[in-house]
Amino acid sequence: MSAPVSRSTFARNTLVAMTAIGAAGAVAVYMNEGPARFWANWLVWTLMLLTLGLGNLFLVALERLVGAHWSVPMRRVPERIAALIPLAIVLLLIGYLSLPVLFPWTRPEAAHNPILVAKAPWLNTTFFAIRLVACAVLWLLFYFFYVRGSLRQDASKDPAFTVKARRLAPPFMVTFFFTLTIVAFDWISSLEPEWYSDMFGVYLFAGTFLSGIAAMAIGVLALLRQGRLRDVGSQHYYNLGTLGLAFTVFYAYIGFAQYMLIWYADLPEEIVWFKHRLEGGWQSVALLLPIFHFAIPFFLLLGGSPKKRPWVLRIAALSILFGHFVDIYWLIIPTISPTPLLGWPELVMACLFVGLGFLQIRRAMNRGADMPIGDPLLVKGLEWQL
Amino acid sequence: MTSAPFAVLGLYSKAEKIIDAATKIRQRKLGHLEAYTPYPVHGLDHAIGLGPSKLGKLVMVMGLLGTGLALLFEGWTSAVDYPVITGGKPLFSWQAFVPVMFEVTVLFATFTAGLAMLFLFNKLPFFGHPVLHSKAIKDITRDKLALSIEQSGAALDIEAARNALLENGAETVEVVELPAWPRLTLVSLLRSMAAIVAACVVAGVGIYSIQKLLPVVLPMVHMHDQPKLNAFRSSTFFADGRGMQPAVAGTVARGHLPPAFSKPEEAGQILANPVALTKQVADRGHKVFNDHCAVCHGTVGDGVALLSRAYGAKPGNFMTAEMQKQPDGYIYGVLMLGKNAMPSYAADLDESDRWAVVHYIRILQRSQNAKDEDLK
Repeated sequence: MSAPVSRSTFARNTLVAMTAIGAAGAVAVYMNEGPARFWANWLVWTLMLLTLGLGNLFLVALERLVGAHWSVPMRRVPERIAALIPLAIVLLLIGYLSLPVLFPWTRPEAAHNPILVAKAPWLNTTFFAIRLVACAVLWLLFYFFYVRGSLRQDASKDPAFTVKARRLAPPFMVTFFFTLTIVAFDWISSLEPEWYSDMFGVYLFAGTFLSGIAAMAIGVLALLRQGRLRDVGSQHYYNLGTLGLAFTVFYAYIGFAQYMLIWYADLPEEIVWFKHRLEGGWQSVALLLPIFHFAIPFFLLLGGSPKKRPWVLRIAALSILFGHFVDIYWLIIPTISPTPLLGWPELVMACLFVGLGFLQIRRAMNRGADMPIGDPLLVKGLEWQL
Repeated sequence: MTSAPFAVLGLYSKAEKIIDAATKIRQRKLGHLEAYTPYPVHGLDHAIGLGPSKLGKLVMVMGLLGTGLALLFEGWTSAVDYPVITGGKPLFSWQAFVPVMFEVTVLFATFTAGLAMLFLFNKLPFFGHPVLHSKAIKDITRDKLALSIEQSGAALDIEAARNALLENGAETVEVVELPAWPRLTLVSLLRSMAAIVAACVVAGVGIYSIQKLLPVVLPMVHMHDQPKLNAFRSSTFFADGRGMQPAVAGTVARGHLPPAFSKPEEAGQILANPVALTKQVADRGHKVFNDHCAVCHGTVGDGVALLSRAYGAKPGNFMTAEMQKQPDGYIYGVLMLGKNAMPSYAADLDESDRWAVVHYIRILQRSQNAKDEDLK
């Protein structure tokens, strides 16, 4: 059913070279610029890869949950991008070493801060490690269940897996929301441990889901351009545009609601987060968010027919991915620098992680066909009409 | 009005057939092609040559207009027309405007969509669609799909249309005539208005009785009958049987400390004016003097005023040499304690207003007893 070529066309040597240069550069960053800048960039990119992977696993599980047909022919794309999850877990486990560098609550001074003493039952290194390992185990279990199971179904053509995948979707949803909230609280908002926002978990979810859709759309369009995913047409990726449109609005809504409430109340322990992120040049970085994370994709995807044009969807998706990167950068880097940092350290670290990410996706692309050919819903999906 | 043919309807049972027929008949250009189906049919919009709806663009423009107008309106009211600082925020705080901007955008967009649907697509003054009066309407709303060739500009060639439909597999063909009252008439308008008024009356009476009834029904009545103390009701909660307790002995209201003197002369010895004289203080003193003092002491403070003339009273004249020599504290003391027929103004004026009046009385004295060097 699928085209004979189902292997990745990424040039392996280029990616390996890029990763090697990045790795060498990262060592230089650690030596020259100090551990804070190294670990902050590490965290930015680890979270970027993790959210892309989790966002795509979420899309896979969402399809199973609601029993969607339209996305079945394209499902291998999010399944392959979800391969970023194991990579991100390894990076996150290494990132545990960044705790004393980036996280003030791990330092001895925290014992003299009444707020941090009150938060110590949650913010202590032991419990943090337990949460990290628990999240990682849950993600890996679901990742192997959904992705490897789907690959095995290619050969076995066993419809029982489709039923089982749907039955496990609700527990995945619950796990996903809990673990993602833990990531948001532990790895991002505890960088400024006095700060708290109940909405922050939802904020990270909005960005995760949106960037997941964007990555999937870029993957689908790239495969279509290579003449793969035969019989997948605009009626299929139109829905990606629709979901993308809905969630740009959701992201903007959550992001602004969080900002406006904190801005209105102006309480010292709440406003400090935005004070560090809206002063000293960071306000220009923050301005990129409503533009790239909301306005551009929103107006591009608003109409009905533009969503069916590949180039419109591609630009919107690229804009969202860029916005998502700016978002994570803007959440993390202000804790180590009062002004935006963009220099060779950021570039080489980007090389390292982009190289690693693409190598991992390339590995995943060399497994199985471009479409889930064992899925009994595939034919229905291919016949999907708007 | 004589009836004129409006359209020729052809009925089909299958969606594929009507799409096929519409594609073929459209090329003959017999008239405006329209379809009436009991459920949406995929691809029929393309087959009858329906372009993309203009509604989206209209809604977009009106929505953006709503956003802009809300921003202008909020910015103008809170930063230009009636600037009040709220919560220490700048006057033009766009963050606070966003929710209203969002709501007005939605309001404009939905009203545009709703009204445009009624006027542009349901062609509102066009009252009662001719197809509703056809024999086929019962079938169309049940399980048949109708393809309709309608007049557009030129008169409809009924025979050609009938043949085209029959050739392309229509099961039955019907000529639909324009009803005698295609447009909104006075009678139908009045009927509609009467129906709206009746609906309003029913809704109003309903809501009124619910509002009257609901608070006395359980459990709503608990909202009203709460175990709380009412200010002017008796209560068994306190020993003295009062709901509102008097202030504890020795309670002092803010800005109303009791005076530390018993005679104005004493005050003159111990008090000095703590308020520096500025333009603002002088203006305030002017206003307070005119509001409270001028009615007896006169607007220039010479003791000649409407009230003193009418009652034969003799209020103090600030212009006398004796009064000019009195210290600030003495005037303050008189304000606080009263003198002769003058009552105490302690309760009416707060601390800063009392001293502002003292300043103003000094200004009046100076104005009536100017020295030569004041002119330089």
